Amino acid sequence: MRGGLARTCIRGGGLGLAAVAAGVGLASVAVAAAPPQRPQRIVSVNLCTDELALRLARPGTVASVSYLSRRPDTSNVVAEAAAIPVNYGLVEDVVSFRPDLVLAGLYTTRNTVTLLRALAVPVVEIDTPPSIDGVRQQIRDVGALLDGAERAEAQIKAFDARLPRVDPHAPRPRAVVVRASGFTTGPGTLLNDILTRAGIDNLAAAGPLAGQAQPPLEAVIQARPDMLILTDEEGEAPALAGEVLVHPALKALAKHARVVTLPARLWTCSGPGVAEAVARLALAADDWRAAHRAGAAANQASLRPESALPGSAPP
Amino acid sequence: MIRHPLPMLPWPWLVAVLLVATVALTLASVAIGYAPLNLGAAIAGAWSGRDSMDALVLVQLRLPRALLGAFMGFSLGVSGAALQGLLRNPLAEPGVIGVSGAAAFGAVCVFYFGFAGAFALALPLGGMVGALVATLLLFRMAGASRSPTGLILAGVAINALAGAFTALALNLSPNPYAALEIVFWLMGSLADRSMAQFLLAAPLMVLGWIALLASARNLEALALGEDTAASLGVNLQRLRLQLVLGSALAVGSAVSVTGAVGFVGLVAPHLMRPLVGHRPGRLLLVSGFAGAMIVLCADMAVRLLPVQPELKLGVMTALVGAPFLISMLQGRRRA
Repeated sequence: MRGGLARTCIRGGGLGLAAVAAGVGLASVAVAAAPPQRPQRIVSVNLCTDELALRLARPGTVASVSYLSRRPDTSNVVAEAAAIPVNYGLVEDVVSFRPDLVLAGLYTTRNTVTLLRALAVPVVEIDTPPSIDGVRQQIRDVGALLDGAERAEAQIKAFDARLPRVDPHAPRPRAVVVRASGFTTGPGTLLNDILTRAGIDNLAAAGPLAGQAQPPLEAVIQARPDMLILTDEEGEAPALAGEVLVHPALKALAKHARVVTLPARLWTCSGPGVAEAVARLALAADDWRAAHRAGAAANQASLRPESALPGSAPP
Repeated sequence: MIRHPLPMLPWPWLVAVLLVATVALTLASVAIGYAPLNLGAAIAGAWSGRDSMDALVLVQLRLPRALLGAFMGFSLGVSGAALQGLLRNPLAEPGVIGVSGAAAFGAVCVFYFGFAGAFALALPLGGMVGALVATLLLFRMAGASRSPTGLILAGVAINALAGAFTALALNLSPNPYAALEIVFWLMGSLADRSMAQFLLAAPLMVLGWIALLASARNLEALALGEDTAASLGVNLQRLRLQLVLGSALAVGSAVSVTGAVGFVGLVAPHLMRPLVGHRPGRLLLVSGFAGAMIVLCADMAVRLLPVQPELKLGVMTALVGAPFLISMLQGRRRA
């Protein structure tokens, strides 16, 4: 609920097409007009479905993708989208491509989806994945839908190869995620699963910040995180939303906690970006462990003379 | 107006009491927060320059928030009293008559189109230009007429225009978050402000206060009427300019870092007026203190209420101020 609310509220305003929220998978989504077996003119109106279509559909069958897929700050498929016409998610816009299949997100361009269904255009709505298993499942489902089952299996194989192996018994740093406008990420979200898989505990999932979608900075600092994960939006125009990420208090916290930046495009949609995000965080967690061990050793060394009782024999 | 005047404190005593109360509320604001803070350890840490987490919260978050609240409230209170004296109208208030809204528009233009990075003072300057334009416009539209409703109508028009332009500017920004931030600019907030923002706006606010407080004597003369004031040797042109520039400095720079917070400049002078024997000159300083106390209390309330994310400051002041304005309008109609 809280992750979903936060994201739809934030994203719905401007990004428009970038559906971002947790929920149900592809299987549970109703499809009015049956999609064709081998779609020839696929139109995607959502950033996440853009990525899935461009990676999984047969070459030449994607007729149009959303304009957001060309923005390097939000999209992982800028190169793939460069040669494909863009749409703005409006009905007239979409219909002009004469699609035999439209891919849409579950939380954006709602009016477009309703009208397309009324026009008997096959529309499939795809949610953002709630977990890493959900990412695999979504790649498999959409691959089957777009006549690209083998491409999907190859993607999943590459995805699993990229996922780092994390020792389950290693000490886990406690982290807080701070996103634009000071939002964090709670349990049941893909980002939370990414943290867990990278060997990191999320303080907003179970800890002092649990239940807070937008904790005040003061609470973030008082939670005493080992790691601060800032999900900055690269190259954005100025907005107050980004100010929290450069607040002097967070900069000062860098002396006490390891700061990692993770662009939102890596943990929003199903694709190799998710594995990349896990790998980056796992690396940061390793760094923290190394520093943690060094710090503990130094602490012990400094404590030893005091802890030795007077008169006790040296070991 | 008041048949049984309150037993009035002597003027210096009144100022001293209000000053002490404002300082006490500022300290209370520092002590209140979202997470328990060991104030002793924090102060010790900050004093010795050790960068403990407690010191960090105190210096980077609690202190700028409390100081900005006090300074912003003082600016709104003193500007409200000055505008009421200038327009000889008890309903004049930076928020109600659109000066704060226009200041927010000026700051929005500077911030979202990337000029804020050009030089440090760009943001407060944007706010000041907005406030100045609105005050001059208002003066032209309603300055001549004596009717309070004429002033309110002109203010409504300026407010609507400033709000529409703010929304337009935010919608034109390519940043997807910008459109949602209209709430901050129209309602104001002190959440997660930084010391840098306080240090940027505070000197300009203080300059504005000095300009306004220095007009106290002439403002008393103006209360007797323009002709009388002129015959007493008051340069009316200069006085108007001083008041308009002073409130633009104070309100414009405050709004550019906190957003527009309404009704403080209306309520503060109204509460203080009986305590200074309805003297518009003496009203300035005490209204500043009252404004600071109102904002500090409202800001503590939004943090103590169990509502997360916290309410915007302007919601709090409007809940108190709007019924106040309605009762004042009703009172005038009956009179």
